Parts: sequence; structure tokens; C-alpha cells
Amino acid sequence: MASLKRLETEFPILDRDFQSFCALRGIFTVQDFLIHDLQSLVADAEQQTSSERFMQAINQVLCVIDGLHRPWSNGVELMEDAQKNKHVLSTGCEGMDFLLRGGLHKGQVTELAGPSSSGKTQFCLLTASTVAYKHMGGVIYLDTGNSFSAKRIAQFLNQISRPAFDEMQPIVLQKVMNSILCQSVFDIFSMFDVLHCLESKLKSQMCRGDNDEILIIIDSISSLITPILGSSGSQGRALMVSAMSLLKKLAHEYNLAVLVTNHTVGGDGGIPKPALGESWKTLTHVRLLLSRDCGSDTYHVSLLKHPSAASGKAAKFIINN
Amino acid sequence: MEVGRLPISAALKGKLVSAGYTSLSLLSSLSPSHLARGAQTAWDMLHEEELLTRITTSSVDIDNILGGGISCRDVTEIGGVPGIGKTQLGIQLAVNVQLPIHCGGLGGKAIYIDTEGSFMVERVLQIAEACSNDMSATNTVSQDVHAGKVGMQPRDFLENILYFRVCSYTEQIALINYLDKFISEHRDVKIVIIDSITFHFRQDFDMALRTRLLGGMALKLMKLAKKFCLAVVLLNQVTTKYAEGSFQLTLALGDSWSHACTNRIILYWNGNERYAYIDKSPSLRSASAPYAVTAKGIRNSVSNCKRIKLM
Repeated sequence: MASLKRLETEFPILDRDFQSFCALRGIFTVQDFLIHDLQSLVADAEQQTSSERFMQAINQVLCVIDGLHRPWSNGVELMEDAQKNKHVLSTGCEGMDFLLRGGLHKGQVTELAGPSSSGKTQFCLLTASTVAYKHMGGVIYLDTGNSFSAKRIAQFLNQISRPAFDEMQPIVLQKVMNSILCQSVFDIFSMFDVLHCLESKLKSQMCRGDNDEILIIIDSISSLITPILGSSGSQGRALMVSAMSLLKKLAHEYNLAVLVTNHTVGGDGGIPKPALGESWKTLTHVRLLLSRDCGSDTYHVSLLKHPSAASGKAAKFIINN
Repeated sequence: MEVGRLPISAALKGKLVSAGYTSLSLLSSLSPSHLARGAQTAWDMLHEEELLTRITTSSVDIDNILGGGISCRDVTEIGGVPGIGKTQLGIQLAVNVQLPIHCGGLGGKAIYIDTEGSFMVERVLQIAEACSNDMSATNTVSQDVHAGKVGMQPRDFLENILYFRVCSYTEQIALINYLDKFISEHRDVKIVIIDSITFHFRQDFDMALRTRLLGGMALKLMKLAKKFCLAVVLLNQVTTKYAEGSFQLTLALGDSWSHACTNRIILYWNGNERYAYIDKSPSLRSASAPYAVTAKGIRNSVSNCKRIKLM
């Protein structure tokens, strides 16, 4: 947050007198200004000798603050934005697409929870291959468990393109696989690093006009959050919430879809429920619960939460080997 | 805007200026590969995966379902009932990793972390002798370049196994933290075997603390496997779980721990035979294969029907 001293160069009205007037009341930065009681400040300013200058200075700071928040948009603009930008990415699996009303929505964070070996990583790899091939977009895959398998991606790509070719030509395969970037992250701070780098990259890309990336996959975000959640103090939960708000911001501003995976823990009566607790439930837009019949290729998925579909629906699908 | 006026710490400013970035516009024109090290495209990873060698388990059937053996850069969890042969498999891998690459090993050393005290040196000697006998037998049959080299003696096998004994969970966590530094100094370590990872976490633990500690430990092991390109093998015990109205046998440490591994192999009894079953893998099919524990170590099971059962 900018300090008043730094703003002086741009707005000469915020001169030393005003700065010392504010400093006497504990206001050094724009943030302090925001939380201070404005009416008492105005009343104090009127009692000073150079009250007019001070009032102008206060108005100037308020203008700066006004300029910092995003412009209001009305329903029509939101509708246009949704139709132009917020498209739907097919996941490559019809059952899942039907449940999600088309697929992963850009601008939304989708969570896939399931017990161990229930197909979450397989689904993430399938979605990455489908998006890279069909939508020609860049995929960022953050892997916390060394389970990204490029061989499996190649298998999925051959499967998706089989109607066209018997096996994908190497040049096309290389081009598609080059748009999937995989990085291993092993703690939440390195995930923050990667997301901040991604943010600056996307910002510069947006200025230039081309926007490559359309999907971020984090497999699994729960293994990053579990070691810090629950200890004395709420720093763990704060980190979890800030990570999700960063992801949501990236999703909304740069038109990305985000897919994260979560594991399950035992709930009441032994029925598995998604991990990470109650506060986590509100942080994602779409929540899915996945399970697999033991020893078979059939997966069951049910919808726990969706902004525009009724929850409780379920679907079955098969991912071939 | 000058870097010197950015609201960041002085240390960071110093680093940026010394790297030559004196203004914000220079930074913004950088491509992300300069700033975020470590990201790779799937195409590069495909070629790397094809080049990765695997560690044989000395049982051809198990190697077949594993796609060649235990892979590096992965954390593999092996679990089973007591007496099924987990420690035997661990010792076999500790010996096999030292074999040269053309024999199915990686020519490297092994770190064996023992939490239960089940490591028997006499058994290791027995397995090492059998291994070096097998090697010299194949060397006399096929006259290859290495025929001139003196075959590995059992003593050499023992020398290359680095053994740690831990007696409490704090020691275990401290050791795993220390492994990073240790392995950077001993770069020829190619496998870390922990037998068993469960033992110290099963008694008298506050569940929330256990979940946090295990989660942190899992991430550290993953990082170790990836950074030094070695295999990490965790041996786990079983417990009963009450689910769907009955008691079922499941691996210990709970649901959150089951996500700590890349691959999972479950060892179980089927009649009189021991079987290994792939429970979790990002790229291998679910399959099971029989094996036997002999005086020479882990070998193929000698039964009439040696079919591999595909799920």
C-alpha cells in the first residue's frame, strides 16, 4: 500500500504539512487513511489554519482510493463477458461433462475429491490432454506427488485423436504436449511462488493481446494444505484461504479454468467426506466426489456443489486403459 | 519505475540489481522460464521417462507388472500382512540397486532406515551371496565387456548399504530432514528404503498432529525422490477398518497417508501363494503376480500356472 510520502511526487498537494497532520493521527499510508474515522479527520482539518488545503488533500487521497477499485459492471456487461470470455472446457469424459453442464467453466475453481486410487490423477491427466488437444490451450499442471505421467498423456492423446489418425503424427503430438507445462511443488510457499510468476506472465501477455493458458490443474492441493492446517494458531487456514483467493483471482481476470484435487477422510458412519474441513467447503465453486468400484474401470462421480446446477446428481463413466 | 523504489525487502532489491534488472520494465519483459525454474513441458518429460531405468525385484513376474521394476523419482509404498515378505523385498531391493545397469540395478548405494529392528545382517549376506553367484553365472555364459571386471563380492554388497536405526518418531522426522543434506554429499545413493514407516506413528498419537506430521513427511520424501532422481520405497503395515458394515483389512496410517505415495503395491496371501497387487499407479494397469520368498531372496513362484492376472 502506498505511503503518503510516496504519493507526494504525483500529487503535490499532499505536502509535508499534510503529512505531519496525518502522522499526528497515526496515518502514514493509504491503508491507515482508509481505516481512520473520516468524519473526525475532516472535523480536525477544519480547525487547522490551512484548512482549505487540508480538505483538498483529503479529497485527493479519496480520489486515489476511488481509482484503486475496479469499475462497477451491470448485468448486461456481465452477460456479455460470460458469452465472450467465460467458455466451457470439455473434460474429455462425457459423463463428467454432462454432470458439469458442459465441462470446466473458465473463471471457476472446480474441486475433485475422492479416496485414494479413485481416479483423480487419471481424470486430471485426461482433462489436460483434452484441453491441450481440442481447445489448443496451454495447461499448467502443478504436481505434488510425482504422479504426472507423460506416457499416460501420450496414451490419452492417441485415444482422443484416434478417429482421425491411427496414431498421432509425432509433430502434432510434440506440439500438443509442448503446451502442457508440468512443475513439481512440494510446499505451499513454492506454490505461491509459481502462481505469482504465472500472474506476472499472464499480465504481460494480456498487455500484448495473446493469451495462451486456459487451464491450471493442482494435483493435489490437499497434500500441500494438510501439513499446515490445524496447528495452534490459524496461520494454516489463512494460507489456505489466500491460496484459494489467488487462484480465484487468476481464474477470473485471465479467463482460466482451475481444477484442484482433494482427498477424503472418514466421516460419520464411515462414509468418506472431502478433507480440509468446513472452511474449505466455501472456497471452491464446483465440488465433485469421485469413487471407483474396487478393481474395475468404472468410476462414480456425484455433484456436491455447483453454481448453476442442482447438487446430488450422479454419473458413471469408464476410463479405458 | 526503478527497482530501488519498489516496496520489497532490501535483500531482494540487492539481488535484482546485481542481476542487472534495474527497472520494472526490464523485469516484465522476461519470459517465465527465467523466473520459475523447474517447469517442464510434457514432451520433454516423455523422453525423460523413457530413459529412466528401473530397479529389478529379482522376480520376473513382479517386474512385468511394474513395467520393469521399481522406478526412480517415485515414492512406492509396499504394504501387507505380517510375514508376507515386506522386509525381504526391502532387503532384496537394497541389494539389487547395486547391480550394474545391464543386470537390472542402478550401480548405486542404498539407504536402509529401520524402525522396527527387523534388519538381519545374516539374511542380507545370504541374499548378497546368491546375487553375486547369479551374476557370475550369467557372466560366464555371456562374454560381454564386463567379463574382465571382477564380479561383485558379497562384502561389496554389504558395504554399499547405509543403515540407520530410528527409535522414535522425532528421530524419524529428524532423519528424513537430514537426508537431503546427506544425499547431496553421497550422490551415488539410488534408493531409500524405510521399514516400516508406520511403526512409530501407531501408538498414542494425537490424530491431528499425526496427520500434519505425516503430510509434511510425505512431501519431503516426494521432494527427495524428485530432486535426486532416486527411488523411495516405504513399507507399511495393515490394520482393520470398519467400513460398509464389516471389518476390512487396509493399510495403516489412514486415508490421508494413502495419498503420500505415487505407486502402491499390496502383498497378500492367495491360498498358499504370495501375491503382489498394484493398487495405485499413474501409468500402470492394475495387475497381480505371484512371487516366492526363497533362501536366495525374492524369486518367481514355482507353481504350475504362472499366469499374470490382469484386473
